Amino acid sequence: MAGDIRRTATWAITGVLAIVILVGFVQGDPEPEDRVARLGSAIKCPVCQGEAIIDSPSPTAEAMMDVLEEKVAAGETDGQIVDYFTARFGDGIYLDPPFAGRTLLVWLIPMAAVVGGFWMILSRRRVAVDEPAEAEPS
Amino acid sequence: MAANIGFLAIVVATLSSVWLIVEGYGAMRNPEPGGFQRLRGPVLGIVGGALVAMGALELAILTDDFSIEYVANNSASTTPFLFKIASGWAALEGSILLWALVLAGFVYSVYRQAAKRSDADGLGLGALFVLGIVSLFFFGVMLTVSNPFRVCIDPAVVGCFEAANLPWSGALAAAEGRGPNPLLQNHILMAVHPPMLYLGYVGMVVPFAFAMSALLRGESGSTWLKRTRVWTLVAWGFLTVGIVLGGLWSYEVLGWGGYWAWDPVENASFIPWLTATAFLHSSVVQERRGMLQAWNFVLIIATFALTILGTFLTRSGVIVSVHSFTQSAIGPVLLWFLMLVLVASFGLFAARIHLVASSPRLDSMASREGVFLFNNLLLTVFAVMVTVGTLYPMFTEAVTGDQVGVGRPFFDRMAIPLSFGLLLAMGLGPITPYRAAKGSVVWQRIRMPLQVALAATALAVVLGYRNRFLLIGTLLAVFVMGTIVRNLWTSARKAAGGWEISIPRAALRVMRNDTGYWGGQISHFGIALLALGIAISANLSVEAEVVLVPGGTATVAGYDLTYVEAFSREEPHRFVVGAEIEISRNGRVLGTEEPRLNRYGTSQQSIATPSVDESLTGDLYLSLKSINPERITLGVWWFPFIWLIWVGGLMAGAAVLWSRLVRKPKPLKERVPVSQGADDGG
Repeated sequence: MAGDIRRTATWAITGVLAIVILVGFVQGDPEPEDRVARLGSAIKCPVCQGEAIIDSPSPTAEAMMDVLEEKVAAGETDGQIVDYFTARFGDGIYLDPPFAGRTLLVWLIPMAAVVGGFWMILSRRRVAVDEPAEAEPS
Repeated sequence: MAANIGFLAIVVATLSSVWLIVEGYGAMRNPEPGGFQRLRGPVLGIVGGALVAMGALELAILTDDFSIEYVANNSASTTPFLFKIASGWAALEGSILLWALVLAGFVYSVYRQAAKRSDADGLGLGALFVLGIVSLFFFGVMLTVSNPFRVCIDPAVVGCFEAANLPWSGALAAAEGRGPNPLLQNHILMAVHPPMLYLGYVGMVVPFAFAMSALLRGESGSTWLKRTRVWTLVAWGFLTVGIVLGGLWSYEVLGWGGYWAWDPVENASFIPWLTATAFLHSSVVQERRGMLQAWNFVLIIATFALTILGTFLTRSGVIVSVHSFTQSAIGPVLLWFLMLVLVASFGLFAARIHLVASSPRLDSMASREGVFLFNNLLLTVFAVMVTVGTLYPMFTEAVTGDQVGVGRPFFDRMAIPLSFGLLLAMGLGPITPYRAAKGSVVWQRIRMPLQVALAATALAVVLGYRNRFLLIGTLLAVFVMGTIVRNLWTSARKAAGGWEISIPRAALRVMRNDTGYWGGQISHFGIALLALGIAISANLSVEAEVVLVPGGTATVAGYDLTYVEAFSREEPHRFVVGAEIEISRNGRVLGTEEPRLNRYGTSQQSIATPSVDESLTGDLYLSLKSINPERITLGVWWFPFIWLIWVGGLMAGAAVLWSRLVRKPKPLKERVPVSQGADDGG
């Protein structure tokens, strides 16, 4: 009897914990997203060696960060801001490849690897697994 | 003088490699007991040549022999002793020499292991034959396109303009050397990180050589895997530690407030790590269940090829990044060698596929081997993703001339779900039985860890954290650690009852009884800590840029930072300017930090030395962005619990020591029969 109560209590507590997490998860981050930080780390500093403008101490990167901050403050969309920079410094400057056009393959190849891998694993399964009841001794 | 000796040593090593190939091939075809005697000469020639060459280069650097181009362009008389030593491998030619030296070490250890055997060891002889080919390539490269002993024939005031390949070409010494790349003489980790990485990188050549030998000889089975287990594990451990130290170096030196940028060179070391990790796991499946024989060949070939690709990416100048110092003729040569490795090894594999194609099938996905397959799938996809992301911009530019950007946003978006999947597999795999697992057994083993993980995550929610990556990361990482601790606890309790000893002693015995399994678990625990560290520090960090005048104060993450004064000092090899920053919290002074900017020799580039105030709750990280007498611009970061990353990462790599060094304890008399604690999982 005591065991039953303990088990029920454990499950109740576990359930409450799960609900708390679920609520927290659904609520999401209350703080507004830091668009400057996100875009700043997605735009490459054109004069540096593989650094994003948010990370680079170079004057060019600093100036670009200033422009970025102004544009975010002015309420421009991500697309507008990215277009502004790529028009000036080339497409290579935007480090977040779009799921389209020339960079489609970057996304598709890993996805194809997932599908191909699953297919290979599933095809290696013993067929007997799918017909269990008959093999079982009565 | 040093140039002559060094060059001659490389000639000796090159000829010895040819000798090893010839003798090794003959010995492999007609193996007989004691056949190793024939290989003694060439092996010693390779080892001796590599050692003398490295010694000659270090001696030339330490004695400021600027008649050697490498020394004149990569060291200076004012360079501190330790960085002079590190200069021996900090630039292209020296790093290839280090590659070859490490390779020679592995050749010797394979030779030693094989020479101890009494049988006609065809597999080991064949491996030495393959090692001879690899070694011929690297020593050959040093004789031609990447000669560390080129002598200067047109010295500049500082450094050397033009050099000749042959050391007897009438050398002219430069008056002074250029000194190492400023980025590389700023922190001691630069002396440690590359050798570690190379020990890992090059170590993968041993399982590769044995695999090729097995294919050449038409041997199926798992002998090659078992024989190379030591090297695979040790190389993996060094690779892991090398990557983590690289991250630490980036964090401590580069001053951008991060440790991992998905820089192509970082990726170059990470991709073989991923495939090597997959290999470590899938080789267990082959040893235990006889499955995945073909797959293990694919993985080890891929891993070795990826180390060559990594060397190519790092050393050819094909990508512009902080690590690619120089353009060099070595690029195309490495690319050709990569092609040769791929074509020859996959060709051989295809020709012998009939030997390895048949292997037992999977009984059920819900089994240890099922989770292993899931883990291999994720690691392979991860490796494919990073490879594609790294190479795609280069390919596009080479083919169409167009530039496309692939960087951190792409890698992060792909890596995060993959890492979550890997953590899940890490929690479930080690406690799932082989063949077919009963749901009730697995459930019993994960119930408690799951509840603990839920409690930890719920606590985070209650404390006000809502970041989804943080919550999932915490849930999974705590779950992994929970399963490991529970597994040890139950095994130890059972064993303690049987042996009538205390539970901590029993736990230690359990862990010593199956060092392979528990070494892996220690490693998993480290990875879970690392994941937790990444989840916390990436999602809860605070970042600010503040401008301060002398006496001014700014507050970031609860810390008050007061700019006291600027200072500057002249050191033999560099000029340092910095700011004294007083840190206090709630009115209590905690200390003073001195973020600095350094300028080395003739270089115009300023290199920041950030100051990091480390504590158990996190790092306060200050990086000076600009300084003049009136004001400073200071980058300030607060990284909570970032030490988890270093501790976890080093723990993951060092866990190999447990597997290799810890001895099985003497058996105790059992009062009650005890089943192997660690193996109750299958």
